Amino acid sequence: MTKRKDAKRVEKNWLEWAVFGVGLALVAGTLGYLVYDGAAAGDDPPAVEVRLGEPRPTGHNFVVPVAVTNHGDQTAEGVTVEVTLEGAGGAGPERGQLTVAFLPRRATREGWVAFRADPRAGRLTPRVLGYEKP
Amino acid sequence: MRSISESLREYARGVAGGLLFSLPLLYTMEVWWAGFTSHPWRLALYVAATFALLLGYNYFLGLRRDSCFSEVVIDSFEEMGLGLLIAFLILWLLGRVSLDQPLSEIAGKTTVEAMTVAIGVSVGTAQLGAEGEDERDKGVGGSRAAAGGHHFGGQLVVALCGAVLFAANIAPTEEVVMIAVEVSAWRLLGLALLSLALGALILYYSEFSGSRRFVRFDARHDVLFGAVITYAVALAASAAILAFFGRFDGQGLAACVAQTIVLGVASTLGASAGRLLLQ
Repeated sequence: MTKRKDAKRVEKNWLEWAVFGVGLALVAGTLGYLVYDGAAAGDDPPAVEVRLGEPRPTGHNFVVPVAVTNHGDQTAEGVTVEVTLEGAGGAGPERGQLTVAFLPRRATREGWVAFRADPRAGRLTPRVLGYEKP
Repeated sequence: MRSISESLREYARGVAGGLLFSLPLLYTMEVWWAGFTSHPWRLALYVAATFALLLGYNYFLGLRRDSCFSEVVIDSFEEMGLGLLIAFLILWLLGRVSLDQPLSEIAGKTTVEAMTVAIGVSVGTAQLGAEGEDERDKGVGGSRAAAGGHHFGGQLVVALCGAVLFAANIAPTEEVVMIAVEVSAWRLLGLALLSLALGALILYYSEFSGSRRFVRFDARHDVLFGAVITYAVALAASAAILAFFGRFDGQGLAACVAQTIVLGVASTLGASAGRLLLQ
């Protein structure tokens, strides 16, 4: 391969043009999306919603799927969720707890809470206890 | 024009370099968190700053000496694109991004990681054994740098790249804050002196080989001057990266300065190594 000192024309093979094209598209797309996202996103504090799934018996207890969604515009850290089970027998209500380390804006994280009594016989109430600003 | 296999070899060097320099970052959870806790505009600014750095690096140290400035721009886009692709792929393999996450989370994590990967790709392409070439290329501005001995702007850009590459691996960790708030003022002074000494030492040995080629009237004065400049660049890079990762948010001035000095040791090493490459 001979090198020309004063080559002013850009010489590239098809592979290099392809990589450049993909690179340009990715960079432009990423930058465009970030700018749009920054302009569109508001400044609302985290708004956390908790949804419960269908209880299911395991070998030694019962588990209830929990989906935690953040509808706000800021990330919530250390989201603590408490689920109370009432009226399923036993003395008083039974409580299950769940902590999500980080809940980014618009994101959903899933987990389970466990109970000794059968939740299908009682009433489940989810509640968000609190979370920090990261 | 290069053949396809030559291009492939170049990209392979780039990918190796990108992974080599950024893998610690891809395995660090504080960096993933920065991806979704940072404001999108802060991320966009980070992308723009990195792109400017890549342009500078490719101009002074990039692969193609026999090229015009538009080729430098094209190379920078290629490296940035490779960085984004590699970062996404590795994060996906590590289970840190998945397609059921919101786009803002995926884009945030990938962007934060990809910037260091892109600088790594650039350094890898230009520096990791250029086989089959008669000599290592020095970029468009490189020939000028070689002829004039030391091109100041080029040295600054390369020092900045090295500093960012090294400091970015440490800046997001909790340890920097922990050290900064717990360390005594005397030890902090010691860290600053260590940084300056490291900078001077590395520079002295690199300038020494240079001073045999080019007549210098006062090498000792030059090394002192160079070490101070290197440390200044390193501190500026440290402060910028710490600010990006939100380490200055809600901190007092003393804690910010302490963090910058603690991180400064790493970025001085990077900046000195960067300046060595230009020799």
